[in-house]
Amino acid sequence: MPLSSKSHPISTSTSDASSATSKKNHRVAAAAESYTSDNGGGSTASSISFLTPCQVFPLVRMQGSSLKRKRPDNVPSSVSLTDAERVLYNVIQGKRDLGIWSKEMKEETNLPDNVVRKALASLQVKKLIKEVVNCQNKAKKHYIASEFKPSKEITGGDWYSEGNLDKDFIEIVKDVFLKIIFIQKVATVDGILEWVKKNHAFHVELTSHQIEEILQALVLDDQIIEMESTGFGEFASVPAGRVCYRCKNKRGPKGEPKIGAMASIPCGVCPRISSCTPDGIISPRTCVYYQKWLDF
Amino acid sequence: MVTQYGIKFAVHIITNHFGNLVAKVCECLLRRGPLTFEQLVRFTELTKEQVKNSLLVLIQHNCVQAFILEQEGREGLKVNTQYLVLFDNILHRLRFPKFLEIVSQDLDEECVELLEGLLRDGRLTLKQMVDRASQRRENAVALDVVQGSLRKLLMIQYVERCPAPEPVLSPPVEQDTKKRGAKSKRAEKPETIEHRIFEAAVPAEGIRFSLTANSELINNSDISPMRVGENVAKEDSTPFRANFEEFIRRLRHKVLIEKVRTTHDDDAAAVLRAILDGTRNAEKKVKMEKSVPLTLDAIFTELQKTENGRAMTMERVRSSLVLLGCDLGKYNDSYTIELKKIIDSARDEEVESIVLKRYGRDAYRMFRLLSRTDGFLETDKIAESTFVEKRDTPKILYKLWKDDYLHMEKLVLNGARQSKFLLWKVNKPILLEHVLDEMHHAALNLSLRLAYEQEKDGELLTVPKDKIVGQLQQRYKRLRNAWLLLESSLMKLDDALMLFHDF
Ligand code: SF4
Repeated sequence: MPLSSKSHPISTSTSDASSATSKKNHRVAAAAESYTSDNGGGSTASSISFLTPCQVFPLVRMQGSSLKRKRPDNVPSSVSLTDAERVLYNVIQGKRDLGIWSKEMKEETNLPDNVVRKALASLQVKKLIKEVVNCQNKAKKHYIASEFKPSKEITGGDWYSEGNLDKDFIEIVKDVFLKIIFIQKVATVDGILEWVKKNHAFHVELTSHQIEEILQALVLDDQIIEMESTGFGEFASVPAGRVCYRCKNKRGPKGEPKIGAMASIPCGVCPRISSCTPDGIISPRTCVYYQKWLDF
Repeated sequence: MVTQYGIKFAVHIITNHFGNLVAKVCECLLRRGPLTFEQLVRFTELTKEQVKNSLLVLIQHNCVQAFILEQEGREGLKVNTQYLVLFDNILHRLRFPKFLEIVSQDLDEECVELLEGLLRDGRLTLKQMVDRASQRRENAVALDVVQGSLRKLLMIQYVERCPAPEPVLSPPVEQDTKKRGAKSKRAEKPETIEHRIFEAAVPAEGIRFSLTANSELINNSDISPMRVGENVAKEDSTPFRANFEEFIRRLRHKVLIEKVRTTHDDDAAAVLRAILDGTRNAEKKVKMEKSVPLTLDAIFTELQKTENGRAMTMERVRSSLVLLGCDLGKYNDSYTIELKKIIDSARDEEVESIVLKRYGRDAYRMFRLLSRTDGFLETDKIAESTFVEKRDTPKILYKLWKDDYLHMEKLVLNGARQSKFLLWKVNKPILLEHVLDEMHHAALNLSLRLAYEQEKDGELLTVPKDKIVGQLQQRYKRLRNAWLLLESSLMKLDDALMLFHDF
């Protein structure tokens, strides 16, 4: 083995997780219904039917979460700041769109806790800085100068909302795409983009880059196959050589990956396999997993 | 590539079939590589007689091959006989039912019976085959009947003449006799000692699969009757054995065709079958990376031999060829299929399904991403591409790394932005070896559990059928179900072992 030591390389900061489910489904458009009604409904229809079609949501996530204000790099003259506030502001502002974690701030400025706390509160009131959610660790108090839009490293990127990955929305987009591909038999990014636009499937606009991202995730889920069109038969509608997608399962949009020989037996999925020996304490004779498996 | 648990499993099989003494000799050879008789006696601490008998059993069952090694010494050429254990042939013992199944599909009952005898006894001469066939019936079976079956089996290459008992190897190329099971990290594989012995021992193609090697001589009337008599006597003592290589080739073809069927469709599977059938005799080894080139016309002709194939038009054949990765119109209208790619993808599928079941769907996506990427990916990039929470991603990756499914490197950058990155990748060769080892381990466990179940409830089998009622019946049913499940799982797992080791 190339890796001799297996000590934990990652600080396991486990914080979290206030559930932010209330806003999660806000990104699904009512227009997805146009798709499902066209096609007789299905799981997608049922999963999004609880949404009120008339809800209009701000396109926060897609269009950026803050406005850029023009402002000189240093502290505006109209605002009076204490020394501590000034020092802190400069540190935060210097980090630009990455912002900074309050603990790092203290280390950089050497200011006592209570001074930092007071100064941060005051800077927020004066609208010079804002607190943002860090997707890596929501418990960390992270600040950024008001003039910046937090970077992808902080927000998590397009598919994040308030520091959480918008999993429900992603699942629904995946479902819709799978059905489109299943119906079209062979689909391309452009074809899907066109369909999404025509049917106003989601309240938020998806770029072709985002469609590609979802398609790649579906490839990784082993739900669809990415291939080059042969130009023949099923592929006749797509010029030969163009990248296109097909559902893996031929009978329905969703399929389950094939479970191999090893994964179908207890040892194949056993967390103790490395400590299991023929005559050891953990052995096939004493194994509880086998006991359960052979309990007819 | 023989892994540690591969050795344990092989020793377990030999112990089950031939007992502890034979297994001890076998294990010694598996762990230390080829040895002389004296070395074997020394290392196993058995008596000379015991070692000799064990070797005879192992040779009879094609699990050991003797060879004479010529070595340059200070006093000139030194010659000694060494024994090489054939790991693959030990594992093939598990597959005998599969080999018999193939023959029963292709040939008649007599051929199946003949092969059964060869598998049971390891190697048999024609005379022994006749005796064996006669024992099973009331009347003696005629020589030409057995000869007929043998000829069929030889023709289709399911049976072969045994290799030379002690081929001579001239002074070896450096490092050839390195230990079995040692991990080779060199990119270019040197010719293995097995390969050299195989080359030296196996008769030439024409003789290997012929009933009478000297048939020309025998038919030649110019030869004196004395010489003919000598040859016939020699023929009588020629042992034959099952040709495992051909069976493994058949099984590999089947896997290739079925994989193509699930990935693409029946048409593509039919085309691949036609190509493999049409080029079968031209395959020089089992692990062909690419199929032997075949023209479109030849593929079409081959297709017409089957009912489904006859229904296919040229257009459908061409379309399937493109699906199979061929460029139409190149290479003078001859096509080859990248067989290794199909095998690789079947292996990936097996490993991925382990990851899915053991570590969950997020890990599955991450693993698939990394296994499709050349080189390293950084944690955040993996999170983004797989739609997994950024704060959860390192934990999942760490689990995979800890269990040797991923390779990780730390990168420290001294800049204003992030300073420490973790980079991940799937190191395929190491991973495949690791998975194969786990599979051998799992196969051993299945087999041990099967033995345990038999030992625990075995006495039930001695109870007369009409006495099995009530609670006993319950226990009996459980035992039967457990056996069935364990046995069928072992057979399925063995398919995977072949996929990773033999294909
Ligand atoms: S026998 Fe039981 S403990 Fe051992 S590896 Fe298999 S499942 Fe795990």
